[in-house]
Amino acid sequence: MAKKKNEKKKKSGGIVGFLRDFTYGMATHGMARHALKTRSSMEHLFILITMGDMLGIPILPPYYSLRLLPHVVPQITTWKRRMLREKDFVESMY
Amino acid sequence: MSLATIFEKYPNRQYIMFGGKGGLGKTTFSAATAYYLAKKGKRVLVFSVDPQASLSDIFERDIFGKGNIEIIPNLYACEVDADKRIRDYQEEIRQKIISMYGMEKIPEEIESYIRASSAEPAMEESAIFDAVVDIVVKGDFDYYIYDLVPLGHALYYLSMASIYDAWLEKITGLREQMREYDRAIATMQREDVSEEDEIYKELMYIKNRIGASSKIMTDTEKTAFFFVLTPEEMIIADTEKAAGLFAKYDVPLAGYVVNRVISRGLLDEKIPEYLRNRIEMQAHALDVINEKFGSLVLARVPEFDSEIKGLDTIKKLAEVMFEETLS
Repeated sequence: MAKKKNEKKKKSGGIVGFLRDFTYGMATHGMARHALKTRSSMEHLFILITMGDMLGIPILPPYYSLRLLPHVVPQITTWKRRMLREKDFVESMY
Repeated sequence: MSLATIFEKYPNRQYIMFGGKGGLGKTTFSAATAYYLAKKGKRVLVFSVDPQASLSDIFERDIFGKGNIEIIPNLYACEVDADKRIRDYQEEIRQKIISMYGMEKIPEEIESYIRASSAEPAMEESAIFDAVVDIVVKGDFDYYIYDLVPLGHALYYLSMASIYDAWLEKITGLREQMREYDRAIATMQREDVSEEDEIYKELMYIKNRIGASSKIMTDTEKTAFFFVLTPEEMIIADTEKAAGLFAKYDVPLAGYVVNRVISRGLLDEKIPEYLRNRIEMQAHALDVINEKFGSLVLARVPEFDSEIKGLDTIKKLAEVMFEETLS
C-alpha cells in the first residue's frame, strides 16, 4: 500500500502538483493538524475508558477489555505519560 | 401442572436452569432432569461452571475440565474449568500481541496488566458466561441443562450485562466518531482511508457475546427457569425475594420444585418427637408454599433415605420428579 501511495504522489508532481500541494498547505494543513490532535485525544480517551484500571480507574469488564488490549499496545506508553502528566486529565479529553 | 407436562407443552424451551440457594438440590435435579430427557430420546447436555462443581460427584466420574463426557446414551455432562479458561484466554491475548507486533516478549506494563486482570472481581463471571455462550452456540444438543452457581452470580452477571451494554453503546459511538476524524484527515491529506478499524470489530464482537449470554437466561421462548426450595419458612422467604429479582431482569420463571418433603404417612407410625415436629413444620411451610406459588409448584419431591449419587438413585429421583417409570 505504501508503494501505491508513492506512485500517486509522483504522478501529481510538476507545476500542477506543486500548486496543489501549496494550496493544501495554505488551506488545510492547519485544519488537518487540528483534526489529528483531536483524533489523538480521542484515542487517549478511548484507552482511558477501556484500560482505565492501568491507572487505577476500573471501568470495563476486564474479560472483554483484554480483547482490545492487543490493538492499543503501541499507544499505551504515550497515553500513560500523557494522562499522568496532565494536571487535570479530564481537561485533556476535550 | 406437573414437570413432565411443562416439558411436553413447551418443546422449544431448550435452556433449562434450576436455581436456588446452595445445597437445596440444584445439581441433583439437573442430573435427574437430564437423565429423564435422555431416556426420552433427547440429546441432553448438563453442564456446570461452578469451580466446586458436583456433577463429577453425582455421576461418580471425574469430568472436570474434560469437555463433554457421555454418561449414558444421549446424556452428556460437562464441567467447565473457569480458571483454566481464563489462563488460556490470557495466553491467547499474549500470543496475539506478540504476533501482531513481532515482539519477543510482552512489555512489562502490558504483562502486569494482563496478569492483574485475572484478579478483577468480574473476571470469573464474565469468563463463565462466555464459556456458556461457547457451549450453547454450537447447538449440538436438544436440551442444555445449566447447573447454575448460586443465584447471586447469575443476578450479578445479568445486572452487569445491562451496564456493559450501555457502556458499549457509548464507546462504540466514540469509536465511530474517531473513524469520522480518520476519514476527514485522510481527505484533507488526500490519502486513502486507512484500513478497517479492528477495535470497532472487537467491540461489535463483545456486544454480541454479552447479548448472547444474557439472552440465554432471558429468552422467554427458549428458557425455562425453575426454582428449587425446601419446605422451610426462611427458604420460602429467600426464594420469593430471588424470584422478584429475577423477574426484574426478565428471567422467565417456569415454576417451583419443592425438595426434601418428609412423607406424612410417617405420622401414623411410632416415630420420635423430633421427626413429628419436623413433619408438622413442613406441613405448615407447604401450606405457605401453596398459598404463595399455587399452580406454579410443579413437583414435591420426597426426602430420600439415601444420598442421590450414581445413576441408580438419579433414576429413582427422575421417576419421582416426572411421575413416570423409566426403562
